[in-house]
Amino acid sequence: MAHIPTANGTAMTGATSLVKSLEAADVEVMFGLPGGAILPAYDPIFDSSIRHILVRHEQGAGHAATGYAQVTGRAGVCIATSGPGATNLVTPLMDAAMDSVPLIAITGQVPSAAIGTDAFQEADIRGITMPFTKHNYLVTDPDQIPGVIAEAFHIATTGRPGPVLVDVAKDALQKMTTFNWPTSIKLAGYNPKTTPDAQAITDAAALIAQSSKPVFYVGGGVIKANAHKELRQLVELLGAPVVTTLMARGAFPDSHPLHMGMPGMHGTVAAVTALQKADLLITLGARFDDRVTGKLSTFAPNAKILHADIDPAEIGKNRHADVAVVADVKETISALIPALKAALAKNQPDLSAWLRQMNSLKSTYPLGFDQPEDGSLSPQHVIQRIGQISGTDTIFTAGVGQHQMWASQFISYEHPRTWLNSGGAGTMGYGVPAAMGAKVGAPDATVWAIDGDGCFQMTNQELVTCALNNIPIKVAIINNESLGMVRQWQTLFYEGRYSNTNLESKRVPNFPMLAESMGCVGLSCERPEDLDKTIEKAMSINDQPVVVDFRVHRDAMVWPMVAAGTSNDEIMIARATAPDWDSQEL
Amino acid sequence: MTTSRRQHTLEVLVENEPGVLARVAGLFSRRAFNIETLNVGPTEDSSISKMVIGVAVEGHSLEQVIAQLDKLVSVISIKDVTGKVKEVHDTQPDYQN
Ligand SMILES: Cc1ncc(C[n+]2csc(CCOP(=O)(O)OP(=O)(O)O)c2C)c(N)n1
Ligand SMILES: [Mg+2]
Repeated sequence: MAHIPTANGTAMTGATSLVKSLEAADVEVMFGLPGGAILPAYDPIFDSSIRHILVRHEQGAGHAATGYAQVTGRAGVCIATSGPGATNLVTPLMDAAMDSVPLIAITGQVPSAAIGTDAFQEADIRGITMPFTKHNYLVTDPDQIPGVIAEAFHIATTGRPGPVLVDVAKDALQKMTTFNWPTSIKLAGYNPKTTPDAQAITDAAALIAQSSKPVFYVGGGVIKANAHKELRQLVELLGAPVVTTLMARGAFPDSHPLHMGMPGMHGTVAAVTALQKADLLITLGARFDDRVTGKLSTFAPNAKILHADIDPAEIGKNRHADVAVVADVKETISALIPALKAALAKNQPDLSAWLRQMNSLKSTYPLGFDQPEDGSLSPQHVIQRIGQISGTDTIFTAGVGQHQMWASQFISYEHPRTWLNSGGAGTMGYGVPAAMGAKVGAPDATVWAIDGDGCFQMTNQELVTCALNNIPIKVAIINNESLGMVRQWQTLFYEGRYSNTNLESKRVPNFPMLAESMGCVGLSCERPEDLDKTIEKAMSINDQPVVVDFRVHRDAMVWPMVAAGTSNDEIMIARATAPDWDSQEL
Repeated sequence: MTTSRRQHTLEVLVENEPGVLARVAGLFSRRAFNIETLNVGPTEDSSISKMVIGVAVEGHSLEQVIAQLDKLVSVISIKDVTGKVKEVHDTQPDYQN
C-alpha cells in the first residue's frame, strides 16, 4: 500500500485495472486457468510483470497458491473463470479457511445483467463460499476494482489470515474506468487487535509462575505470526515441555530436549500425556481442535488454560480459558518474556519432577515401527530415510492419510514453513499442487511431496504444469495399494471388512510411466536394499520433476492412536496395547 | 459454557450491501445458533442497516455468538439489548479478525 502506482489516474478497462491492482499489491505469481467470463482479464495478464502459471485444474491453482503462501508468508493468488472454474476453487478455499492461509481467489462472473438468470456458466460463487472465506466480494462496477483488491489483500493477510474471494462480473472487466489505487483502507467492521492488553500479560505470567506442571501447547498460529524465535526464548526461560500440533510442526525444533512431539489422534505418548496431566496449558495460536483434544470432556482435566490467539472467537469456543490474551501471538510472546522473568524472580516453580516424568515417557515410548516380516518396504522407513537424506532445509508437503501422519511423525522438523499439509480440512490431493506452489515460492529449496497412492490420483495432473514451467518438485508415492487410513479404520473398527479401499495401484496405474508421460522422471523402488540409492537418485535430478513409486507393505498402521470420540487417556501404542501406566509415576 | 436456554436480543449494525442478510443468517445456521426473530431496517446513514436478532442461546455462550458475528467483515457493531438497552460490545475495541 506504500507506493502509489504510476498508472494512477489513467483510463483503462476494468480488466487492466484488475491486473494493475494485483501488481500494486506486489503479486509476483498467480496460478490459474482462463475461460469466458474471466477472459478479458487474461488479455492484460499477457503483458503483466506478474508470472501466471497455467494449471491443469483449478483445484491445483488453489492449493498451489496455498503452498506458495505457506512457505513465503505472503498472500497466494489463484484465478479462475465463472461456474465450474470457480466451483473447482471451493475445496482449496475451504482448506485455506481451516488452516488460516492468506489466499486470494479471483473469479470471473457472468455479465451483471445476466446474474440471476441461470446464464451459461453462472454460479453464485460468493454465496457458495460465504461459509469459508474470511470475506468475499461481487464486483459489478469497474471503479470499485482497485479498492476491493486492496481490501482483499488487507483482510487476507492481517489478523487471523484467511481466504478472500473476489468475483468480478464480465462487463465490469470490459468497461472503461479510471485506475485509482487507494492510499488507505478503512473498514468499519474490520479492525484486528494485534497488541495484547497489559493486564492479560500480567495475569498470564502470574498463572505460569504458579503452575508446577505447565505445557506449551503450540499451534499453527505461531508459524503464521513468525514467532518461532520468540517461542524458543519463552520456552527456555520457563524450561517446560512443548508439544507442536500437526499445523505447528517446525515451530519448535524437533531436536530440542523439551520437545515432546505432536499431540492428538496420532500424537506421541509423551505429548498426549503431557496435555492430559498438565496443570496449565500455555496455548499459543492453537484452537483445541477435536483431533488434538479427543473427547473434549476428558481433555486435560486438571489443567488451567492460558489461551493466546489473535481470533477472539477461538477463546472459549471449545474450552474455557482461565486467562485469555487476544493479540498477534508474536507480540504476546514478546510481552510475556519480560513479564514472566519478573514473575519467576518472585516465585520460581520447581518443574524438575514434572520434566522427569515427561522425559521418562518420551524415552519409554518413542515413535517406532516394525520392519515387515516378508522383507518388503516399510512405509515409515521410506519416509524416515527421505527426511534423513534430504536434510532439514527441505520443504515437505503431504496428502492426507497414513503417509501424512507418518510424514508428520518420522521426519524431523527443525524450521518453520518446512512442513505443509492440509490439517483442518484433510484434503486428499493437496500434496502435489501445494508442493508446486511451495517450489515457486522457494525455488532454491528441495521440495518433496510425500503423497499417497490414493491422493496422488486426485491431483497428479499438476505435474504437467511443473514439467512445463520448470518447477522441479519431487514426489514420493507411498504406494500401499490402498486408501490406507480408511483401511486402517476398517481393520480396527469394521472387523477387517475392506469395503472399497483396495486401489490395486500396484497393478494400475503404472506410476513411473504416468510420471514419464507428464514430462517427469519416473522411478520405482520395492526392496529395502534399493531404498537409499533410489532416494539419492531422486535427489540428484534437479532439472525435472521426479516421481518415485515406493511400493510398500500394505498392512502398516499409524501408531499411537486415540480413536475418534474417545479420551486421550485411552491412547493405544499398538493394536489393543495401552502404555504401561502402572510403571509410570504420573 | 451455558447449557440452559436463554433468550437474548442483539442489535447489530451492518454494512448495507447485497448479501449481508445471507452472511448473518448463514453464520447462525452453520454454527447451529438459533435465531428466534430477525428484523432488518434502515438507519439514518443509508450505508448502514440495523438488524435486531432474537437469539436463543443453547449449548453456546452468548460471547461465542457475539464473537463469531463480530468476525463478519460486514458487521460493524453488536449490542446486547436484552430487556433494557445495555451496551455490551459497542464500547469495546472491535476484535475483528
Ligand atoms: C477428498 C477426500 N476424500 C476422501 C477422504 C477420506 N480419506 C482420508 S485418508 C483416505 C485415504 C487416502 O489414501 P492414500 O492417499 O493412498 O493414503 P494412505 O492412507 O494409503 O497413506 C481417505 C479416502 C479425504 N480425506 N479427502
Ligand atoms: Mg495408500
